[in-house]
Amino acid sequence: MTKSSLSKPMGLLVSIVSVLIALVVWQILAKQGLLGKNFPGSLETLKELQWWLSDPFFNNGPNDLGIGTNLLISLRRVMIGYSLSIVVAVPLGLLIGVSRLASSSANPFIQLLKPVSPLAWLPIGLFVFRDSELTGIFVIFISSVWPTLISTSFGVQTINPDYLRVSRSLGASQLRTITKVVLPAVMPNILAGMRISMGIAWLVIVAAEMLLGSGIGYFIWNEWNNLSLPNIFVAIIVIGLTGILLDQFIGALQKRFDYQL
Amino acid sequence: MSATNDYSEVQLSIENVGKVFTSEPGLLRSLSRRRTSAGYVALEDVNLRIEENTFVSIIGPSGCGKSTLLNLMAGLDEPSSGQILMDGLRIRGPGPDRGVVFQNYVLMPWLTALENVIYAIETAQPSISKGNAKEQAREYLSMVDLEKAMDRYPREMSGGMKQRVAIARALSIKPKILLMDEPFGALDALTRGYLQEEVLHLWENHRVTVVLVTHSIDEALLLSDQIVLMSSGPNARISDLIDLPRIRPRKRNMIETNPDFLAVKQRLEDHLFRETRAIEEK
Repeated sequence: MTKSSLSKPMGLLVSIVSVLIALVVWQILAKQGLLGKNFPGSLETLKELQWWLSDPFFNNGPNDLGIGTNLLISLRRVMIGYSLSIVVAVPLGLLIGVSRLASSSANPFIQLLKPVSPLAWLPIGLFVFRDSELTGIFVIFISSVWPTLISTSFGVQTINPDYLRVSRSLGASQLRTITKVVLPAVMPNILAGMRISMGIAWLVIVAAEMLLGSGIGYFIWNEWNNLSLPNIFVAIIVIGLTGILLDQFIGALQKRFDYQL
Repeated sequence: MSATNDYSEVQLSIENVGKVFTSEPGLLRSLSRRRTSAGYVALEDVNLRIEENTFVSIIGPSGCGKSTLLNLMAGLDEPSSGQILMDGLRIRGPGPDRGVVFQNYVLMPWLTALENVIYAIETAQPSISKGNAKEQAREYLSMVDLEKAMDRYPREMSGGMKQRVAIARALSIKPKILLMDEPFGALDALTRGYLQEEVLHLWENHRVTVVLVTHSIDEALLLSDQIVLMSSGPNARISDLIDLPRIRPRKRNMIETNPDFLAVKQRLEDHLFRETRAIEEK
């Protein structure tokens, strides 16, 4: 990749300057009243952020939780729903990739359900589970299962047939070939899918939690009811930063398992 | 035919083998039973007996089905007619009694050289302990002079090194027959010559039966006890069988000075030239 001649530290500096400029422009626009009456400026928002971060884990009842507490509630839901989706998607993806019968049976459901908005699953989850916590986890699961499923089965279908030939020529059983050859061979595909799934899981949690009564998504809904725009911006910043960390974590796993590099 | 009639020495016996490739995928073909597609006849009526501990080269013009024949011996593919016997038993699939070396090495890129060989050993001997498998893998890699590169990944190795790992891997399952499908075809000329010498020494010190598919006359002359000539496909068959003087150890200059070798070389060149011209003028 030839990305112009900017050096790495120089690039970092440019990024920082770019953020600072955006904060300044935001502050000026807000103070000039160009974004509507009482729209918070960046200074006010950063002050609020500092306040929330100074004591992130307080608990004064369900409608007054620290932002860290809410974040942990959301992360817990995401982790459970996401882990379930991986546990289902990887074996199912392998099966769909290996067997034409499985792929023909599963394909209509994948194609039909994949584009459905996560929010459409909320009423169904609430009806079936009669429990907001389970519903949240269910919505995360059903929204984030598809990319990993599709990427895994695609990986199996495009695996270099020579690997399978070598394994067969050594007399390996089907099971041994799947666990020792197919699985590591499609690991990069699985992780690429997992990275997209993670993005979706984190994206969906905010929407799901607006109706659930706790977590970072509910925090936003609650602050909207309090008409506290700065706090909403604080939540957006926290959500964004957490999203980066989650993405980087899977990115690191990808580097670890990418045998092409 | 100059093959011996001493049946007790025959290890691999190819009997009336034919191979037809049909273009339709399996599922479709079974659904439309009425259609009898003619298909492509790659091999027709091939007969060959390979004696124990001999080095046999199969040579022929490109596309003559020599790799197809090797795949049948490996059990990776099934003959459409006839049968292949190994020690008197019909081959029904791949097995650890036959080791295969492929042209493009095919090492698992997520495993080191050592781990690639360990995978083969543990596949062939499921009950072996981890320590023993590692020990044996080291031995086989040392045999091909790779003791210093054991922990490298395939991407960190040259083509020649990768092929040596592949040879060590094929030998590590202690096969009775080593099947090599143009193993030096993807290497540059210098590396190829070096690896041929390696295989020559290896074979002269640890005899196993070897079947080598090649299109290099010099390679066949340098290594083989017997050369199998194939006619051009489709409907390829074995057109000649040449026994070479069993002078061992063999040296490269021998095949350029010894009149017996020179005569065989002339014969091979004539045959390949004729067969290639037949293909080109079709």
